[in-house]
Amino acid sequence: MWNDLSFRLRSLFRRKTVETELNDELLFHLEHEVEKYKKSGLSDAEARRRARLSFGGHEQVKEDCREAHGASFVENTLQDLRYAIRQLKGNPTFTIVIALTLALSIGANSAIFSVIHGVLLKTLPYSEPDRLVRIFLSNSSYPKFPLNPFDFRDFRTSNKSFDSMAAFTRGDVQLSGSGEPVRLNAFSVTSGYFHVLGLHPQLGREFDEKAEIPGNGLQIVLSDRLWRTRFNADPEIVGRKITFNAQPYTVVGVMPPGTEHPGNEYQPIAYGEDVDAWWPFSFEGDPSQRGSHYIEGIARLRKNVSLEQARAEMNALMTQLGREHPGDQGWQVLVIPLDSEIVGSSRRLLLVLLGAVGMVLLIACANAANLLLARASTRQREIAVRLALGAPRSRIVRQLLTESLLISFLGGSLGLALALVGIKLLVALLPAGFPRAHDIHVSAPVFLFTLLVSVAAGVLFGLAPALQASRTDPNKGLHQGGRSTTGSGHQSRLRNGLVVSEVGLACVLLIGAGLMLRSLLNIMHLDPGFRQQHLLTARLSLPHVRYPKDEDIARFGDLLIAGINSLPGVQSAGLGSDLPWTGYDDNLGGFTIEGKQPPPHQMFHARYHMATADYFRALGTPLLRGRFFTGGDKKDAPGVLIINHAMAERYWPGEDVVGKRMSFEDNPKDKDWMTVVGVVADVKDQPDSPGAEPAFWWSALQHPSSADLSLAIRADSDPELLVDAVRKQVAQLDPALAVANVQLMDRIVNGSVATPRFAFILVGLFGGLAILLAAIGTYGVISYSVTRRTPEFGLRMALGAQRWDVLRLVLIQAAKLVLSGTAIGLVLALVLARVLKNLIYDVSPADPLTFTAIGFSVIAIAIFACYLPARKATASDPMLALRAE
Amino acid sequence: MNPEHIDLPQGTLDLLILRTLSLGPQHGWAISERVQQVSSDVLRIQQGSLYPALHRLERRGWIKAKWGISDNNRRAKYYELTRIGKKQLEAEAENWRKLAAAVAQVLESV
Repeated sequence: MWNDLSFRLRSLFRRKTVETELNDELLFHLEHEVEKYKKSGLSDAEARRRARLSFGGHEQVKEDCREAHGASFVENTLQDLRYAIRQLKGNPTFTIVIALTLALSIGANSAIFSVIHGVLLKTLPYSEPDRLVRIFLSNSSYPKFPLNPFDFRDFRTSNKSFDSMAAFTRGDVQLSGSGEPVRLNAFSVTSGYFHVLGLHPQLGREFDEKAEIPGNGLQIVLSDRLWRTRFNADPEIVGRKITFNAQPYTVVGVMPPGTEHPGNEYQPIAYGEDVDAWWPFSFEGDPSQRGSHYIEGIARLRKNVSLEQARAEMNALMTQLGREHPGDQGWQVLVIPLDSEIVGSSRRLLLVLLGAVGMVLLIACANAANLLLARASTRQREIAVRLALGAPRSRIVRQLLTESLLISFLGGSLGLALALVGIKLLVALLPAGFPRAHDIHVSAPVFLFTLLVSVAAGVLFGLAPALQASRTDPNKGLHQGGRSTTGSGHQSRLRNGLVVSEVGLACVLLIGAGLMLRSLLNIMHLDPGFRQQHLLTARLSLPHVRYPKDEDIARFGDLLIAGINSLPGVQSAGLGSDLPWTGYDDNLGGFTIEGKQPPPHQMFHARYHMATADYFRALGTPLLRGRFFTGGDKKDAPGVLIINHAMAERYWPGEDVVGKRMSFEDNPKDKDWMTVVGVVADVKDQPDSPGAEPAFWWSALQHPSSADLSLAIRADSDPELLVDAVRKQVAQLDPALAVANVQLMDRIVNGSVATPRFAFILVGLFGGLAILLAAIGTYGVISYSVTRRTPEFGLRMALGAQRWDVLRLVLIQAAKLVLSGTAIGLVLALVLARVLKNLIYDVSPADPLTFTAIGFSVIAIAIFACYLPARKATASDPMLALRAE
Repeated sequence: MNPEHIDLPQGTLDLLILRTLSLGPQHGWAISERVQQVSSDVLRIQQGSLYPALHRLERRGWIKAKWGISDNNRRAKYYELTRIGKKQLEAEAENWRKLAAAVAQVLESV
């Protein structure tokens, strides 16, 4: 084996030496043979003649020997390659056009693939990530809901399906001490959280179950980044006390770099390395109360336990819990693989984009095939000569395929260079919070993908023209010469078919882009339920130790709002528990509505929020009925609520809701009732959510439910000018308080359309490229056919046809192609657009307006591309044409 | 030319080369001379076909080549049998004998 290989390699790479040796060897033989004949008495000349005769054809023997060396395949390929390079160099325009169109489409494919590789294909950075699942609850009103802490604890002790289980909830902390106070992205996690993920602290340990007992929670695990930036990577940090939220927390561990967050629903931060610290979740409150849901479960499946088995077990557990606690009735347990939870809705978008670039590549291939076909007919003479000289047809096919592969490799390398730039642009364009965006790089698999795509493209567009050319009849080809040969019927059918499919595919892509544009416009013109202009927002978090009582929070709020209102340029300012579109979804179940009964096994549910008097005024949320809160809605005054339109519609359909009462006690006494005083317009969770969830607001003065405050300030003009003054106001009240997430609402609004805009820009770009390629293709085919038919047109004109008649003749031919292409495209789009269903907002995938508009545009563009060569046809000089014939 | 000459059956050239080389290293011309001598000039090797066969055997590793100095002081390529080549020769010779015997048997029995 080894011998064989080294022999072949030697004959390949040391060709000169091997050739000389072969020559020497054969000459030696001949000399001996001549000697022999001379000895038997022949003359020198005769001896030489005899020797040659008995030896056989010298060159033939040499060729046979080379064949025996086993390197002829590579040698032939090298020869083909040299020939192909000569050919392509001799025809640079042709080469450049094909290579560039391929480069654009291969580059687009590589760029999209690198995103897909980073986001969908690369495994998650946890040990055995396919065994990790997320756990949620679900019922008819809330398809995906967080867990109750005590339900979670029961799951954790009783389940047999999981190796380990943990829960977490977002709980940011404030780090004060040296320097400006900062708010850190933090999570409150149960014991074993890192163990579930298969991660281990680089220093210290993670929390044990003792830390979950209320009162034991002053412990913290730091991220590598926080440890390095704030604590100079102090190796002795474990055991040290650090002040978070104005309380001394003991550092128990430091996680290694690359510790990634597995994603969350509530107040989402993107999946990734964004978390600064983790502190213990503590099981406070009454374990028999199962109404509040706010922690998210994560677990590791036992080996050999399937998702279905785990689901069945968890649901049996939940049914059991429902028998013990009324609040646990009517829930299903969702067990979702972590991978699909993280990537979720992005998967479809990415696959659609891959489909779109795939189509662009197909169009580019069809275009290249068309150009090759046209050129093959001008090369007929050359091919005929080679066939006549005895080259086998397979050799011709091989030669032509080598040429197309060479072009596609050229396109592929250029494409890869484009992709390198394109990926940077693509990542910059990705919507904020796109899952795993930091995992997107140009890597070995991307190179491999580009290589495979290039080879596939080369064969795809090269094979048909090569086979076609090899069918050349040597006789005809030689007789007619290259120029005026008419392509065979088969060839023009092939060329027409290619143009029809190009137009069809371009039509599909443009319809996709059109649907996405409509969806984007719909989202942009949606009434958000607030006015985003001149609106500044920020978040504050009051540490419990310094603001232990509701009154403390209320007083702070009053002072802050008064201070801000005194600033010049402020129209109104308010505080609330949260802001629109931030994904805040604290839910309250189990309230009582006067005179209403919930359906069996269900409770009244709604999102609960808190607001000060001017909160809605500052946001610009319209009041539909009743009034806003006032300074009079105080602790000792009668309880009041503001609800949204969705809540009014769900629980009091068709009634005048102002004055209606509800309570949060099971058996309310008279003082427990709260009265609805106002109805405000709906604000959805996310701009593209199907509808707003029912929600109500407490008056901040009566029920300061949270120490997390969101600030909304409406300014006269540019709110950016207020930022420093607002920070100063906060610092005057409490210098240790961090002002976090200072944002202009119109930027948030802008960010919320990032995904549909991203989808539209890319699909639109691909659609534009597609129609350009299709137009080039159509132009090419028509102008080829016009050149071919020039004598015919000349004849017609000589017989009295007008310019218009000739023009019409060409345009009818073109229209046939374009119309069939568009028709096929429309039908195909009707079938394919269904995959866009969840990606487009408020547009039917079969939107008649888009289909009509795109259909006509495609026809117009393609016909225009044909018009240019058609005009050339009308310029045919009858005399010239006839003479040529 | 010489009516006494018969053409080599397919595939037997390798066997003859191996057998010839089993007597010691030789260059191509000597191999062709030797085969003709030993077969009393009945077998005739088309001299041209000898070399591709030699190169093929060399590639397979049955024989190996060395450049040496011939009797008349010229540089010549000498071939010699390798260990694999020797085994191959035994196997092929055995096959040939069996084949020849079988063919002879058939011819005589009819």
